[in-house]
Amino acid sequence: MWLTPAEWQIVRFTLAVCALSTAIILPLGLAVAWPLARHRWPGKLLVETLVTLPLVLPPVATGLLLLKLFSRRGGLGQFLHEHLGMDVVFTWRAVVAAAAVMSFPLLVRSARVGFQSVNQRLEQIARTLGASNARVFFTITLPLAARGIIAGIVLAFARAVGEFGATIVVAGNIPGKTTTLSLEIFETVQLGHDASAYRLLIVSALIAFGAVWCSEVLMKRSALR
Amino acid sequence: MFRFPGTIFIFAATLLLQTANGAEVNVYAAASLTDVLKEIAANYEKQSSDKIVFNFGASSILARQIIERAPADIFFSADEAKIDILQIGGLIVNDTRRDMLSNSLVIVVPNDSKLAIASPNDLLTKTQKIAIAEPRAVPAGIYTKEYLSGLGLWEKLKPKIVPTENVRAALAAVESGNVDAGFVYKTDADISKKVKIAFSVPIEKGPAIRYPVAIVKESKNRLGAENFLRYLQSDNARKLFERYGFIVKF
Amino acid sequence: MKLEIQQLTLHLKQFSLEVNADLHSPRTGIFGPSGAGKTSLLESIAGLRKPETAKISLDGCLYENSEQNYSLPVRLRKIGYVPQDDSLFPHLSVRRNLLYGTNSKSEHVTFSFDHVVDFLRITPLLDRDVRSLSRGENQRIVIARALLSAPRLLLLDEPLTALDLKLKNAILEQLRFLHNEFGIPMLYVTHDHAEAIEICEEVLMLESGKITARGRPIELLA
Repeated sequence: MWLTPAEWQIVRFTLAVCALSTAIILPLGLAVAWPLARHRWPGKLLVETLVTLPLVLPPVATGLLLLKLFSRRGGLGQFLHEHLGMDVVFTWRAVVAAAAVMSFPLLVRSARVGFQSVNQRLEQIARTLGASNARVFFTITLPLAARGIIAGIVLAFARAVGEFGATIVVAGNIPGKTTTLSLEIFETVQLGHDASAYRLLIVSALIAFGAVWCSEVLMKRSALR
Repeated sequence: MFRFPGTIFIFAATLLLQTANGAEVNVYAAASLTDVLKEIAANYEKQSSDKIVFNFGASSILARQIIERAPADIFFSADEAKIDILQIGGLIVNDTRRDMLSNSLVIVVPNDSKLAIASPNDLLTKTQKIAIAEPRAVPAGIYTKEYLSGLGLWEKLKPKIVPTENVRAALAAVESGNVDAGFVYKTDADISKKVKIAFSVPIEKGPAIRYPVAIVKESKNRLGAENFLRYLQSDNARKLFERYGFIVKF
Repeated sequence: MKLEIQQLTLHLKQFSLEVNADLHSPRTGIFGPSGAGKTSLLESIAGLRKPETAKISLDGCLYENSEQNYSLPVRLRKIGYVPQDDSLFPHLSVRRNLLYGTNSKSEHVTFSFDHVVDFLRITPLLDRDVRSLSRGENQRIVIARALLSAPRLLLLDEPLTALDLKLKNAILEQLRFLHNEFGIPMLYVTHDHAEAIEICEEVLMLESGKITARGRPIELLA
């Protein structure tokens, strides 16, 4: 085997966590991108700023905010710990949370552009043909915005795979539990295990290629058939 | 038109001149030495024109930085292995190497913890997460692993271990309450107000902890480094080390 | 049909659209130069644009009453709209486009898919890619799609622009008999004399947002 079993576990873990985080932010991201793209409403600027924040803050700062939010003392973490016996900090859940928060803005931005590119005339016509708002959204808007949305998903996934700063703060680097590809590359460099570091680097590049290839396939198959 | 750039130039030149006069001594030291060395340096600077600039962190990371030719003048490590690596690489001035301090390990828990931990064995049944410095590289973690392995507990406790970047990070993790317990040096536990010591590893039963120091060969301020190194072995420094709970070996 | 438009006002860039009219003819034309406000009028009736004030009802059903702040949602108005610009859904096939408005929501399907497709001669186009259609083919499909949603009223905004004469005449004929064939009244916007005379029974002249004349096309336009 070219990669050690431990390295394989890390790759599988990273892909699983990033797929999960992307799946989680998808409905939420679309729900936020849509009103941002279409309407003007009070508080819009605030939401725009909040959504962009993880993009602009240093990742470790975002990690710190997540640490406070999910800490066992006070906040969400306390609730989860006491009522559900569930911990977030220093577990895989924190990895998902960090990946989700850091990649969210990229999805929203891309999806927003996708929505903005949809000809509103077509949505109007759909309504004259009797379609409800939900039907218009799912049968007209979404398919026509598909390019932007797919690009957003791929970007978000890629960002999740590359995520480091927030992850190491809120999830730590626990072998077998929270170690992701990025964290492991960092560790192997620290320890001087350069051969391992290069192997993992190649895997990262392959994942990047894979993501771009997927997006090309999806775009070809999407909306404009 | 030339006023503004001119002012900047003069300002920059002044800065450069200042650093040239009172030289800097760059000290790369283990994280557990943060508080005691800062106080020692403050005292030193009252009687010297030199300025002590610190880089605190895990000895493993610091050693790596020195290997990459980071501008260190003195290396104060928390274990011998790291200085050995540098010595083998010809990066330190061999006859300046000194064994300075020792320390002991303790198990700490958050101040408000209700867990009754009276021995390492209790960790098995009473805790879910234990923070220690990275056991593959950082001295505090290596010592802890050595100790727990000696008790036959390491493999069983491994699933609970949360490795941190350095021993102070382990301390912080315990302080935050996000882990149930942690292994740190006694000197770290003494400084923190948010943790309490649940168990002290007896010196005779614990691993042999050594803090060696040495001057880095490529130091740009050899004289300043020698002066500070001498001060570190003075009576004033000894008193401070002991006050912070270190075991003095010089 | 009975389309009542009372006190409709809408501020446009250069002037205000102000319309007060009761329309009865199943083939009513709105005639005027470009920029006269014809499209805005259609959009207001369809509910795609909100006039500042208006009271609009169709066959006794209230669509808009600005005094009571009431506006019937577009999807409930059952008004077929054929705009000037391209409006076929590019991501759906011709067939799916046509069927878009024919869902469960229509309680009564007044005429069959085949009937409409036949009448507008678009049978050979059913499996074509929307983007490969010529403008003439495009327009016929848009009209068919609107018809298939069983509307109460059909609004057509200059549907024959950019078509060559031969094609125009072919479609004109179909439009003229649309009402005969399917019983659906229409409001036909144009700036072309010949079209108005050919298709409409009654014509309203719209200039700078105001109705300046009303009557039979032969009398007003010949």
